[in-house]
Amino acid sequence: MTAAQRWALGAWLALLAASAVIVARTTISTDVSAFLPRSPTPEQQVLVEQLREGVVSRLALIALEGASPAALAQASKAMAAELRKDASFVSVENGDGSGDAADREFLWRHRYLLSSAVDAERFSAAGLRERLEETLRLLDSPAGALVRRIVANDPTGELLHILESLEAQSRPATREGVWFSRDGRRALLLAQTRAPGYDVGAQEGALARIVQAFSRAGTDEVKLLVSGPGVFAARTRVAVRNDALRLSLIATALVAGLLLAVYRSGRLLALGLVPIASGALAGIAAVSLGFGSVHGITLGFGVTLIGEGVDYAIYLFTQAAGGGARHAALERIWPTLRLGVLTSICGFSAMLFSGFTGLAQLGLFSIVGLLVAVAVTRWVLPGMLPSTLAAPIVGAAGPWASAAARRASSLRYPVLILVAAIAVLLAARGERLWNEDLASLSPVPRADQALDEKMRADLGAPDVRFLVVIHAPDQEAALQASEAVGQGLRKASQAGMLEGYESPADFLPSRQTQEARRQALPEPAQLRANLEKAVAGLPFRGKVFEPFLADAAAARSAPPIGRSGMQGTRLALRVDSLLARRADGWAAMLPLRNVADAAGIARYLTAPPGAQAVLLDLKRESEQLYHSYRAQALAYSLLGAAAIGALLLASLRSLRSFFAVTAPLVAAVLVTTGALALAGESLSIFHLVGLLLVVAIGSNYSLLFDRQASSQSDRSRTLVSLLLANATTVIGFGLLALSRVPVLHDIGVTVGLGTVLALVFSAILGRRHDHA
Amino acid sequence: MTFGGRARAVVLAAALMPGTAAAAESSTWDVARLMQELAKVKTSKGRFVERRYVGILTTPLESSGTLLYVAPDRLEKRTLSPRVESVLLEGDQLTLESTQPKRRRSIRLEDYPAVGVFVESIRSTLAGDLAALKRLFEIGLEGDERKWRMVLRPTDRNMQELLSEIRVGGRGGTIGTIEFLEPNGDRSTMTITRDPP
Repeated sequence: MTAAQRWALGAWLALLAASAVIVARTTISTDVSAFLPRSPTPEQQVLVEQLREGVVSRLALIALEGASPAALAQASKAMAAELRKDASFVSVENGDGSGDAADREFLWRHRYLLSSAVDAERFSAAGLRERLEETLRLLDSPAGALVRRIVANDPTGELLHILESLEAQSRPATREGVWFSRDGRRALLLAQTRAPGYDVGAQEGALARIVQAFSRAGTDEVKLLVSGPGVFAARTRVAVRNDALRLSLIATALVAGLLLAVYRSGRLLALGLVPIASGALAGIAAVSLGFGSVHGITLGFGVTLIGEGVDYAIYLFTQAAGGGARHAALERIWPTLRLGVLTSICGFSAMLFSGFTGLAQLGLFSIVGLLVAVAVTRWVLPGMLPSTLAAPIVGAAGPWASAAARRASSLRYPVLILVAAIAVLLAARGERLWNEDLASLSPVPRADQALDEKMRADLGAPDVRFLVVIHAPDQEAALQASEAVGQGLRKASQAGMLEGYESPADFLPSRQTQEARRQALPEPAQLRANLEKAVAGLPFRGKVFEPFLADAAAARSAPPIGRSGMQGTRLALRVDSLLARRADGWAAMLPLRNVADAAGIARYLTAPPGAQAVLLDLKRESEQLYHSYRAQALAYSLLGAAAIGALLLASLRSLRSFFAVTAPLVAAVLVTTGALALAGESLSIFHLVGLLLVVAIGSNYSLLFDRQASSQSDRSRTLVSLLLANATTVIGFGLLALSRVPVLHDIGVTVGLGTVLALVFSAILGRRHDHA
Repeated sequence: MTFGGRARAVVLAAALMPGTAAAAESSTWDVARLMQELAKVKTSKGRFVERRYVGILTTPLESSGTLLYVAPDRLEKRTLSPRVESVLLEGDQLTLESTQPKRRRSIRLEDYPAVGVFVESIRSTLAGDLAALKRLFEIGLEGDERKWRMVLRPTDRNMQELLSEIRVGGRGGTIGTIEFLEPNGDRSTMTITRDPP
């Protein structure tokens, strides 16, 4: 071992020790939103916050199917009873009416503060007369049964008025006394967890409780379906953990098997993993230092991204097997290898600047990992190699590979025609190549997203697309602004621009409004006089309305309603989902129903001073968000590609070499994209990242192909090492393509296919080097 | 299927429906006979006058209009006085329509079990569906074929709080009166005059 090698060994060991210390202290995050874009506008921030911790994030949608309605209803009731005893859930609803009593009691008790119809005019003699005539009419209508029961307390019909305004909101169908889908095939439950959606550990626990309650309640035929943001978070963690771990293990085993078959040496196999293992350790440490924590996906998936590190060892071993001095073996390919690494780093830098925390982490991890891996290969590994090193397969496969490579160039024109055809196809598809849906970025498997949509439709949960978001300094201001906006929305609704809206002030009016309604109730003596005047000549028996007079008098002195007074009702959950404290004040959200003219509605929106109201089109907003991120990703990718081009041109110093190296890469990228498009995959940002990786890894191939080999045996060794390297890459990424997690699948499919093409096209389109 | 096979199936079907098979031979006046008579009516049209006696009112509320029944499950009650209003039952769907204020609403009976019992009592009676009536009510019958009165008492405890009994009176297969009695003493009486077919 030379002095230089001892220094290198020392530096390497010191790096490993430092990395190990940092990694040991690293916290691992599983926050799903790391793979959602960082939100630039305050409105989008509200949305992402809601997604992370709002009531929406705490809902678990549960469906039971596969048995008779009676059996499903039975299971639904048993499950609800079980889960209601569980402290991890704030509420569990299944339509059995268990919460109705508390809600009705709340609405009934506070009807004079809650009814938007309450004003002084309504309780004047003329106003009361009008109400009593209406009551007479209602007594003889289908609503008569309800009216007869409450008319003595509520002759002005405040409860009916409140119920009517709530009635417009859609509800699930009922069968056998519980919620069912319209087609009667699924019984439905809705559970709200105590823990916020981003607390994946707690969500995982809640999911386990649901499954447990089901196994106690369900019979063999009944099937359980669960969905919702928290459930997604928990499942994604499990899926990512399982997929990343399982696929990494399988890939490692396969790659190890392959290397063992080639080198027939356990020691060599272990040595082959030294560069990538060192790179991974240093990469995690770097991400931990740079981001404060490491995302689970970075951990599981990053190692695959620097799978190139195994290639370095393969190149070294295969060259060393040729005999001669250890470092001389590497000296031969080092300039090429160095250029290849720099090229990859240019590619990965694009990820570093992306707007997704998750991708930026992967970028940093890859850059540091590759640098360390190549340095270890260059300076540490040669000193560790055994004195004799044989790779019989090189001798066996070498001539075959050389022959194949020589014949490959005859395919040059067919390939060029294919590439041209695909370029035309891609140009024709243009924008339609891209997935337009923000959901394509979600780490949630598409099948689960589809199930969630179906269950939401079953539950009659409104398709929230338009939303008025209000910002105000405090809760009272937010509620007052909600009421002001509500007035504008009612006018817009009369103009036919929308069907209706929901507002937190429907259930929790502002103090100001509550006070105004209380003031609208006349003093007891005055009300009695007004009533006597109103009832004259109508067929009501005397003294019938004494309970009304007592209730109205009580309402005048009752304390105002606050959020705390709603505890135990389902209305409290509604208010919580529409009204939230934010870092800098309060936000209220008013979902709109059946919007016909969004631009028209915007003109009716006015907020009181100090508050802002914005009409949000979630679909357009998320599409724009996605568009801007895609444009950004594309721009960084092009910059990365340009940097790669400049680097290659500067290093190769020959236009001919430059074209020989880049043509296979361009062809591979085009044909891969074309194949994905033809296979019906719409491209996401993750495919784009995959293409970048194809360029990064593929450039190693085309560079090594382009290298002027010193001899025929050098050449065939290079070819075999490329085949081996590509095989390991295809194993790693091909397995990722099997994952149900979109980010893993998209990148896996792209890189698996793209690198094979890069190798094949390097052989076909590269310059011919003959050593006859 | 051969002729013999079909004949066997008919006999089998008859045997599986004791109501029809037994009633066909019954000549005594009982609920089964009444149901059989009612089931014969496939469509009928008439006018109604309804009086509703409500405890808090000194005079009954009166309304009138037309009724149209088409077997087995379409029933339309159109009130013409004092206001134009209609209630249309089609299968499981109940549509309420009023002109003042102009409003139209459809509900599924499944979603409103309390309304369902009221509707089911009328529909099953009109259709002569004894099995359906027996699921919800205890049935009594007085009188003879020329003048009978059937009394339906809900068996469900929750329903008993809303409804103490329903009295349906008539002659042969024709219904003449329907009365709803509530536990608090409120009641409504509907008198039906059948249009000549």
